[in-house]
Amino acid sequence: MLISYNWLRELTDTKLSPQELRERLTNVGLAVDAVEERDADYVLDVEVPSNRGDCLSHVGIARELAVIENAGVQSPKSQIENANGKTSDFASVEIRDPDLCPRYAARIVRGVKIAPSPEWLRKRLEVLGQRPINNVADITNYVLHELGQPLHAFDLAKLTESRIIVRCAEKDETITTLDGVERNLDKEMLVIADARRPVAVAGVMGGEDSEISNATTDVLIESAYFDPASVRRTAKLLGLHTEASHRFERGTDPEGVSQAQERCVALICEIAGGVATEDALDVYPTRKDKKIVSIRPERVEAITSLSVPTAESVRILKSLGFSLSEEASARLTFTVPSWRHDVAIEEDLIEEVARHTGYDRIGTELPPSSLSGEYHSRERHKRALRRSLSALGFDEAINLSFIELTNDFDLIPEFGGLSEDNLVTLTNPIVEEASRMRQTLLPGLLNSIRHNINHGIRDVCLFELGRLFVANEPGQLPREREALALAATGGAVAADRAQADRELDFFDLKGALEAGVTAMNLPPLDFASAEVIHLQPGQAAEISFNGVRVGSIGRLAETIAGQFKFRQPIFIAEVDLTTLLEIEELPVLYSPLPRFPSILRDVSLLLDRKITVAELLRAVHDQKVEHFVGAKFVGTYEGEGIPEGKRSVTLRFEYRADDRTLRDEEVDELHWPLVKALQENFNAEVR
Amino acid sequence: MSGDRNQLRPEDLIGAINAAYGNFDREIERLPDTSESLEAAEKHLRELQDLRIKYLGKKSELATQKKLIRSIDPTRRGEAGSNIQKFEQTITQRIVDKEQALKHFIENARVERESIDVTLPGRRPRPGHLHPITLMRQRIEDIFVSLGYAVEDDREIETDFYNFDALNIPEGHPARDPQDTFYTTDGFALRSQTSTVQIHAMQRRGAPVRMIAPGRVFRRDTPDPTHNPMFYQVEGLCVDRGITMAHLKGTLAEFVQRLFGLETKTRFRPSYFPFTEPSAEVDYSCFSCGGPGCRICKWSGWIELGGSGMVHPNVLRAANVDTEEFTGFAFGLGIDRTCARIYQLDDIRLLFENDVRFLEQFR
Ligand SMILES: [Zn+2]
Repeated sequence: MLISYNWLRELTDTKLSPQELRERLTNVGLAVDAVEERDADYVLDVEVPSNRGDCLSHVGIARELAVIENAGVQSPKSQIENANGKTSDFASVEIRDPDLCPRYAARIVRGVKIAPSPEWLRKRLEVLGQRPINNVADITNYVLHELGQPLHAFDLAKLTESRIIVRCAEKDETITTLDGVERNLDKEMLVIADARRPVAVAGVMGGEDSEISNATTDVLIESAYFDPASVRRTAKLLGLHTEASHRFERGTDPEGVSQAQERCVALICEIAGGVATEDALDVYPTRKDKKIVSIRPERVEAITSLSVPTAESVRILKSLGFSLSEEASARLTFTVPSWRHDVAIEEDLIEEVARHTGYDRIGTELPPSSLSGEYHSRERHKRALRRSLSALGFDEAINLSFIELTNDFDLIPEFGGLSEDNLVTLTNPIVEEASRMRQTLLPGLLNSIRHNINHGIRDVCLFELGRLFVANEPGQLPREREALALAATGGAVAADRAQADRELDFFDLKGALEAGVTAMNLPPLDFASAEVIHLQPGQAAEISFNGVRVGSIGRLAETIAGQFKFRQPIFIAEVDLTTLLEIEELPVLYSPLPRFPSILRDVSLLLDRKITVAELLRAVHDQKVEHFVGAKFVGTYEGEGIPEGKRSVTLRFEYRADDRTLRDEEVDELHWPLVKALQENFNAEVR
Repeated sequence: MSGDRNQLRPEDLIGAINAAYGNFDREIERLPDTSESLEAAEKHLRELQDLRIKYLGKKSELATQKKLIRSIDPTRRGEAGSNIQKFEQTITQRIVDKEQALKHFIENARVERESIDVTLPGRRPRPGHLHPITLMRQRIEDIFVSLGYAVEDDREIETDFYNFDALNIPEGHPARDPQDTFYTTDGFALRSQTSTVQIHAMQRRGAPVRMIAPGRVFRRDTPDPTHNPMFYQVEGLCVDRGITMAHLKGTLAEFVQRLFGLETKTRFRPSYFPFTEPSAEVDYSCFSCGGPGCRICKWSGWIELGGSGMVHPNVLRAANVDTEEFTGFAFGLGIDRTCARIYQLDDIRLLFENDVRFLEQFR
């Protein structure tokens, strides 16, 4: 809001320079964003907090300044010289919706001469960036900026039957507002109507056909109090933000209606001539009770740490317009001024005292320590996970929680049987397609990969930790689960080298996931070949723990890759992190180091390529053989010398005794039956 | 002479040796100390070993003549012995010298050949990077945990009670407008501030409580260089007996000093938030210029940290905390915004594009 320094000086006799004013107002919570010299005046751009509608005028700012400078505010004079007749002789006022319009006052000036405003008035408005129109319109605007009460002037001759009816719009009613736009009204919008049609959108803007023109002689001046929420709604729906609606939305002073009207009428008589009516037609069915709030002086210090003498607290509050209605030793009771909608409780008064005492006078100390700090229960695991993935070359991505409907349905993994039905849908998305809350992190990661590839970066490894949302029974909050997703494509890039040594494959991604799980000190996950809707058949696996599915991993299905226009294989994985983090950590226990060396035996088996290494290892481990420590995977071989449909798998067997070094013959005796069992079970040949 | 061994004289022995070693000089000088290649030097070293065998080996003339010493007249055996020994020493020395020269050359040549360019890049995978928001969140968490705060989190989709009512945001307040807050078809709100966690935490822990809650929040802002419909905040809450605004100021002053440096100053300005009373806007002195003003602080010397204040009694009551026994402060600051300030990001939409060239700038 713009404030004229010269105007303010008329109201307060301030001794402060514009720059000092800037600092002092900022310190009491009215941040001055800029001070600009303009036409022998200074214009202050004041940022008024949304609960301080009372400060949206020169008098409002002057009131704050009066406290700062321990001075007073000059009340603008309203002396009506020339009055005759009663308003009810010329017009009628009816409020049909007193909830939305608790007060409406009309007063009439007859015989005005519409003309351009005098120089001083034009200048006042121009300095504030307002365009002068004619004397009557300018005067209503002037009073708005002076007192904060929006006013409206109707051409009385254009009000059918000289009636003012404050009511909600009827179905299909329209009005052409002052800006020349025809507007459709709805049944919850409050309008000012005459006997026939709406003549103004209440608190927002007047209508074109009841506007003051050069032919106007008699004017009806409206001064009213409208419900803030109602004006906000109407202004928003009509897309009309006006000086009037801005103030009504924040709450004007219902008790200030008459004063502003008198001021306006007096100025009209003075500048535009004419005869005012002697009274106002003031419909004010239910006067609001005055608010009473008490403050215990010692609570000021208890809450703000500022020690303010009671007399000073009283001075501040009185200067702001609060009146002391009762003074007991431990409690001061104040009547809240009608313009202060924001004050209701003791703490509100404390804030008034504190901000005028100065927040800069509040000391700085740390609270006495009574509690110990702690991280979120799984933060240690998540930090380990993030560290291990980033060490392997994965960059951390963060995507929006919204997903677009295109593409994404094919991508929903079967986390506990999710489907389209249990998607969480937004009623008011910011982009129409992005109306669902994500149930998988994969679309986000794939879009990120696409973004990078489109920018010429083909080697990309990303991971994301984030929440997924699953709809619940109707009326219940959605379930929120945390997921981990990885995506990798392109080459295995080494640091500071221009070219990748090799292309990434499934096992790079699997290795990263395994590294993350190990870093969290969790038991290994199981991977089993499976059909997964979004993964390429034959290169897809289901991930499980203790027989419970926790996710999937594999190469992105060619059909989906095609939709994304990917020309290189993309490997993706997603796991339910919430479930993983519920798994009990592995205990860390020391086992004594072996005292005697192990004996190793390598075996290469030629077998059907459908037989998995996991099956072989499981079969070996199931055998209880003395001194057999375990078997490990060495490698596979396919190609020359190996028949179609077969492959060679090499495993390394380890044997060890705790009390001696085993002899070769002993190991042979243990080893060959194991190998023989494998041969028979898997129809394998030893190569 | 052959009939009478005792008549053998030292001169005979030396004479025989001299006759046999006439070529030694030439043969050893034929082997140069340095060669054009490592291989040539190694060949010369092998040839030198052959010379050693020829001239010092068991079958050499020296070995043969040494055996004849005992056939010399005993009175002259000493003379013969020492002459032969001197000769042997000379030969040995010549061979050892040559050997050393060759080995030295070979050693150098090998070192030369096996030398590496130590400036080539080390062998390691390209390192990945944590997201700047994660890095900033971890720094903030570390500071507050050390100040005795527990890190809390809760739902991102909330009931009106937690997102509004309990935070003293009444029905009809602009914040509740569907223009500003996302709603699900079931009428739940995407949390529009992490202040929701204040209520959950007080309900879980009761008072006293000291916690921070970093997390994702949502507001219906159309993306532009300074807005995203989703961003990250940290909420802080401290409720105890005797908590005042001085504690709030002290805590945030400590925080900004740890985050931006010890010389950082804090400024409080009165402000308005529904969930605090009194409320304060918190600024910290610009970490770049320290006060005089620069581009980063928009020439004001101060940068906005966030909103704060004393917890509104209605909020404490919503969480069943006795407002006469306990007071508390709360604050909220934007992680994305702080990132943007520190890293001088001119477009915060980059935060969620996941461009690798962007992500790899942060450590
Ligand atoms: Zn600066």
